[in-house]
This record gives sequence, C-alpha cells and structure tokens, in this order.
Amino acid sequence: MLQIKPIISTLRHNKSGPLLLLLQIILSVAIVANASFIINERVQLMSRESGLVEDEVFDFTVYNFEEGVDYTAQNSRDMDIIRGLAGVKASTTSSMTPLSGGGWSSTFTYGQSEETAKDAPQAAIYYGDEQMVETLGVEMIAGRNFYQSEIESGHPNTANLAIVSQAFATVTWGDEPAVGQTIYAGGYGEQALKVIGVVKTLQGAWVNSSHLDNAIILNVELGLTSFNRFLVRAEPGLMTELKPQIIAALHKENKNRVIDGFTMITEHRKRVYRDHELMATVLSMMVILLLLITSLGLAGMVMFNIERRTKQIGTRRALGAKKRDIVSFFLVENYIICLTGGVIGALVAVQLGRQLMSVYSLPQLELIYPIATVVGLVVLTTVAVILPARKAAKISPAIATRSV
Amino acid sequence: MLSMKSISKVFKTDLVETHALRDFNLEVKEGEFVAVTGPSGSGKTTFLNIAGLLEGFTHGDYFLDGVNISNLSDNKSAAIRNEKIGFIFQGFNLIPDLNLAENVEVPLRYRGFNAAERKRRVQHALEQVGLAARMKHLPSQLSGGQQQRVAIARALAGEPRFLLADEPTGNLDSMMARQVMELLEEINKAGTTIIMVTHDPELARRAQRNIQIVDGQVCDFTMYQGGAEKPHLVSDTESPSDGQQAQTEQVAG
Repeated sequence: MLQIKPIISTLRHNKSGPLLLLLQIILSVAIVANASFIINERVQLMSRESGLVEDEVFDFTVYNFEEGVDYTAQNSRDMDIIRGLAGVKASTTSSMTPLSGGGWSSTFTYGQSEETAKDAPQAAIYYGDEQMVETLGVEMIAGRNFYQSEIESGHPNTANLAIVSQAFATVTWGDEPAVGQTIYAGGYGEQALKVIGVVKTLQGAWVNSSHLDNAIILNVELGLTSFNRFLVRAEPGLMTELKPQIIAALHKENKNRVIDGFTMITEHRKRVYRDHELMATVLSMMVILLLLITSLGLAGMVMFNIERRTKQIGTRRALGAKKRDIVSFFLVENYIICLTGGVIGALVAVQLGRQLMSVYSLPQLELIYPIATVVGLVVLTTVAVILPARKAAKISPAIATRSV
Repeated sequence: MLSMKSISKVFKTDLVETHALRDFNLEVKEGEFVAVTGPSGSGKTTFLNIAGLLEGFTHGDYFLDGVNISNLSDNKSAAIRNEKIGFIFQGFNLIPDLNLAENVEVPLRYRGFNAAERKRRVQHALEQVGLAARMKHLPSQLSGGQQQRVAIARALAGEPRFLLADEPTGNLDSMMARQVMELLEEINKAGTTIIMVTHDPELARRAQRNIQIVDGQVCDFTMYQGGAEKPHLVSDTESPSDGQQAQTEQVAG
C-alpha cells in the first residue's frame, strides 16, 4: 500500500536531505530538458538529407599557372580525360561543392510582369554540365536533364536553363508546376533562365543557412579563371585508387598545374557539421553526468535512510509489513521527491528555454522535453532505488527486539 | 493458543554452533498472562522472536491459534504477525517522524483497513491508554511511560489474539513501570493473552504463570498472582507435587 501521508510526515520532519536532493533534481531536470532539446535539434540538423550519394562523390581543384592557356578548352580536355578513367561513373566541372561551406549563391526575380515581379529566395548556384545530375546522384522528379548540346562554356551569364530543387520550387511557385517557369538572374527581364527540371533534394554549401535546401543547377561549364573545381562520382570503393590516376592523367595532359584538395562529400559533411557534433557530444556528456550524479544522489539517500532506519524497518516488518511494503515505502518516498522536483524543474526548464531563446536565438523549448525528462527521471529513480530498497526489505523483523 | 513442541534454534557460524533453544516445549492457553524470565543469554529473546514469528527455528513444531506456522512463507508470517500478534518492545520502537496517531496507524495500514476504520481504531486504542488528547504529538514530546503506552495502543489497535511484550518496563522508572503493568493487567483481564519477557521478578510475580528459561530450556513453575506459595522449580528429574499437578506443565527436557 502507498502510505503517502505518513511518508510526507516523515519527509516533513527530515527536511535537509530531501531538500538537497530536490534541488539537485530541479536543476537536473531544467538542464537536461534544455540540453536534450538542443542535442536533438543538432542531431536533426546533422541528419538532414543532402540528396547526394555522398559516399561516392568527391571533389578536387586544378590550379593552372601556365600563361596563355584557354581555360575553357583546357576544361573540356580535362573533362574528357577524367570521364575516360575506369571507375568514374560521371563527372562535371562545378562552381561549388555541396556541404563544403563555400560557394556561389544569389537571389532571382520571377513573375508575369515587371510590376508584379517578386524576389525568389536565396539559392545556391551550381554551374555544371549534363553530367551534374548523375554526378551528384540527385533524383530528378519532374522535367528533364540538360542535353549535352545545351551546355554553354565560359561565363556564368551565358546560362539560360535551370534545374531547381523541389524546396526552391515550392517556396517560389507553391503548388504550380516549376517546369516551364522562368526566373531572372538580377532584375526582371535580365538573363532569363527557363526551368526545365526539378530534383527532389539538393542542398547548398552552408549548413547553417535557412536556405540550405534551395539550390539551382545552371547549364554552364565554367572556364573563367585559372582555378577550376571538378566533381567526380566513382564506382564504390574506387575513390582512393582514382586520386593518383586523375593526378597522373591530368599532369600528363599538362604538367604546369597543381591538382589538389581531393575530398569526399562525407568528409565535407563531417567538417561542416563539426561544431554541431561537438556541441551535441559535450551536451550529451553533460546530460549523462547529471543523470549519473542524480541517480547516485538518489541511491545514496536511500542507502543512508536504510542505515538510519534499520530498526524502524525491522519494527515495521514486525508489525506486519511485507517485503513489498518496505520496497514500496522507499519507492514512494523517492517518487514524491522526484515528481515534486520534476514538476518544479520542468517549470524552470521552460523559463530557462525562454531565456536561451531570447539571448541565443534558439527555437522555443518543446514541452515534450521537460515531460520526457521527468518520465526518464521516474525510471531513473526506480532503477536507483529498487536495489537498496530490496536490500532493506531483507532486514529481519527480529531487529525490532534488539536493544542496539 | 500457543504450542511449541521440541523447538530448537541453532545459530551457526564457520567456527561455532550456538544452541539458543534446545528441545523447547511450551503451551500457553487463551487468556493467560505468562511472564518469561531468565538470565541474560538464556534464550528469552530468541523464544520471543520465534513466538512472534520474527525469526524461524531449526527443529520442532509451533502451532499458533491452531495453525502450524513451521513452514510459512514470509508474506503469510507477516500477515499473521499483523492480525494475531501485538508487539510491545523494550525501547518502544515508535517511529520518531510520525505523530502518535500515525504511529498507532502503522499496523492498521498494513492490514488494509480503510481510512475511517483506521481512524476509529486509532481513537479507541489511544483512549484505552489515556492519550487520545495527544494524538497529534510526536513521540519525542512524551515521557518514556507515555511512549510505552502509545506502543501498547499500537499493539492493541489491531485487536490481536495475544500480546508479546519484550521487557515492556525495562526503560521506565518504577512508577511508570507500575502504570504500564497495570495497563497490561487490564488488557489481560479483557481477554487478551499476554506473554511478557522481563528481568524484573516483582513484575513476573504479578503474572499468572512464570516461565524461566535457562540455557535455552524451559523451567516452568506456576505462581498464582498474590498467592502465598513459594514458586516451585520443576526439573525433568523431579515430579511436581500433587497439589501443583493441575497447574504445572511438563518441563522441557
């Protein structure tokens, strides 16, 4: 039986220990709830789909330092060499690499007339050729890919066709089909870009941007500068072998250049999310430590109480308490402390969440986190209390007749 | 009411075996007031613990109220302690954090009585010992004698068939001890069987029957309350006199 009233009487007459434990639980709940919320937010950020086959794609850069080189022609020759290597599934020149933390982005204009024109949201811009879609491994869900004959070379302002991400299409045109729409690079009417296809997911380079899922592929093989970036999709497992082959093949074509920066997309992802991962790891350690300290506090308090109440437990057993009554006594006593601390801690957690929201621009704490923390605390209390309580239940009732 | 036949209790360690009770035989009838005396270490407390189902025994048979309690489960033993036996301890064993009413209520909660029934019984038990007006006080606010009366109220609240009192006056001065003894006598007169362990020969003499335990065995002699006859120790080599035959029980061997 629960015996809540006499347990509360007992707690009222022995305030110091329970009050300290209560304070510990309040702080634990407040911190654990907010930390769990932040951890989950970071984990969700890190687990967002980029839309790419990340474990098959890598990038590298070529720095040409020979004067008088036609970069556009050099790019075309390099592209042919790379695509001719065994193990290369697809490759393209690119203005940027997804999840790399750096690249090109812009806003666009769209609308039926100059008067009604609107700005489309910020989007990452990938300049590439007809193999860009296959190289990235993104899924085409509407329209078509570029034809080889549609690829322009040289300057970005030669682009006239676009493949957009679904996120960009939805935020720009809503439920209207994106294929067939026109966007303008710059003001209304300047450099029209006709949307010919939509890919399901394609992220940009900046993982902390709210426009990460807005991306556009434009039909230009860049050849403006001595610096050029290539994206390559390799057969699984062949990426390591391909690196020396690519360097050797491109040097054979023209040795006056530096070929460097071979990086897998998975490596880019790891680097670009490093801060989030660190934050989640540190907070997770803190949560584990706090829960460990709280459970040790609970177990310590129970063991102290058992030691202090040995004769009392024996007397209760002599008066008719069954073993389960003794276990229940300690469980209920600690559930009362835990739930009282949990409820107060949850309120503090919400208030703390509001402060964090206003000071650090974090999202508002969802109520499920303090609630889940309290539920977790009840489980923790059970685990921490049950073993000492079962030990207490084994105290012989004959203790009651002992004079010391 | 209570029947122990050839009970023995052996405490074993790696090095030594201690026989706390040996071939212990005892019959206690309903309504009796039995005092148990004996020197320290004679086995009085072991007898009390076994009689009160606080610990088990090594050999023998024990019937309480007709029930063989030799191989009872822990839960069943707890239930019998709660329903049939009232305990009065030398150190009172009140729970210091609970007030008098809550202390008296402890065994009633384990019995599963509802709140109204518990309240009625607590009120009645505390009235019996003259402390109903102080039911909200803590034990620390009472004298030793008053605390023992609360313990008696706690023992009575469950309306047990018999009371086991372990040195109930051991921690009290003579005036308090007399008051507590008078209370126990009243309870006995009302029909409750009492077995009282005591060191005090004066108190033992006030019981209907005096049992002496020596070296874990019973030396049983009858002593009438207020009687003029000198108590007669019976051993297994000596038969009781004819005049005592009817009141004297078999001595343990």
